[in-house]
Amino acid sequence: MRAFKAELSKLFSLPGIWLAFLIGAFAPAVIAALDSIAEKEEIIAGVSTRLSEIGYIGLGLGVQGVIILGVLAVSSEYLTESSESGGGRQITTSLTVVSSRLRFLLAKAGAVTVISLLLCMVAILTTVSATHLILGEYTPAFEASRLIGAVCYWTLTALLAFGITVLTKNSMIPLTVLLINSSLVSFSVLLSKVTKLAFYLPDRAGLELFMFTNDRFHPPFTGGLILFGWVVVFFIAAAIVFHRRDVAS
Amino acid sequence: MLTINNLVKHRGTVEILSGISFKARPGRVTGFLGPNGAGKSSTLRILLGLDRATSGSALINGKPFAELHNPLTTIGAALDGFGAHRMRTGRAHLRWIAHAAGLSRSRVEEVLEIVGLTNAADKRVGNYSLGMGRRLGIAAALLGDPKILVLDEPVNGLDPEGIRWIRTFLRERAESGNTVLLSSHLMGELAETVDDVVIIKHGRIVADGTLEEVIGTHSTLEEAFFALTSESAGGVV
Repeated sequence: MRAFKAELSKLFSLPGIWLAFLIGAFAPAVIAALDSIAEKEEIIAGVSTRLSEIGYIGLGLGVQGVIILGVLAVSSEYLTESSESGGGRQITTSLTVVSSRLRFLLAKAGAVTVISLLLCMVAILTTVSATHLILGEYTPAFEASRLIGAVCYWTLTALLAFGITVLTKNSMIPLTVLLINSSLVSFSVLLSKVTKLAFYLPDRAGLELFMFTNDRFHPPFTGGLILFGWVVVFFIAAAIVFHRRDVAS
Repeated sequence: MLTINNLVKHRGTVEILSGISFKARPGRVTGFLGPNGAGKSSTLRILLGLDRATSGSALINGKPFAELHNPLTTIGAALDGFGAHRMRTGRAHLRWIAHAAGLSRSRVEEVLEIVGLTNAADKRVGNYSLGMGRRLGIAAALLGDPKILVLDEPVNGLDPEGIRWIRTFLRERAESGNTVLLSSHLMGELAETVDDVVIIKHGRIVADGTLEEVIGTHSTLEEAFFALTSESAGGVV
């Protein structure tokens, strides 16, 4: 519990994390609002084919906030200080304060989980409000089960980013891959045009938790389970590597 | 009490430590000396559970680091650099450490006072001078008021005032019964600070004893150090 509190304290005192909070809390609302404006006429006319995506599209893209959170939580430990100051890293301090590496990793993952959960709830609040503001009485109903799905998607994606960063130690690779993949070009969506196996990739499967699109492949629960499976695999790999790794290496 | 026993460390095919043994005792400042790359930092990292030994043991009051329940109250360490994220303030850095060790916020203010960083506590660590960063590292090591202090190259790059501060500070810690182990490659600065000396070269201990014993017939610690660590020297004092 003490290690968990320390991890929360670390995250909240890191300026980069506030960027993650801002993106996570408000980007979904902005995207949902813009999407609602674009679709408004068709929705009122009752001919919109994307009614089931309204609002959720913002939550799908806003996951970037927790990706940054998951990556920074780990990469900030490995950020090397300038050579004039001796080239130290925070991980040295962290591991001389908490003697069990597994406890350290679990405490950090716990802090990322709790913040992701809360951040997604805030995002849901802002997104639903923004959609209501634009569409008024034409706002489609937000179902609790799909919103819970979105919370699961955010939390598991944050943990996936966390696990990958433990393996890479720096933020460049996971941030680039995960952010591009969840915003500009989704590799798994492209790949799914070629092979059905792409539907088993974590982001594609995870989206099934709450994005009820026309080309869906898994029921929500299965999609969530597949994403969870990926998280477990990466977390176990991360825990083994982290347990064995010399800090100096 | 710190007990290093027959420690061996391989990294890839290179043997960094070849079976080193020594002790650091309570009430004394032990200087762990050697040229750069001799294996000082590797030894300290193994002692603190950061790196794994290939064989042998490094014990803190008879236990390996991983078995310490709340390590900060037993052993405080300041290793390379500041050990802090540059975007965080000094105070925020100490606060998360205090959380991890279950210590109060007032203890953070106490250690800031001890190391003289109270006025700079709200500055980001990235803006600290080398001396301030070292003080922050020492403040972190002192948080849990441990009986054992381990410092890696504490005087490296410090100005005369900083060196003097560290020297006085370490002497006081040892005189009140604590164990202090510090590594350095700077002999001149250390001769007035240490009680016991352990000299390492190429991963082997070449001298281990009190300051007087190690200086022996040489005129200064520096002379003794060069005599022991020059390429032709060998054997243990």
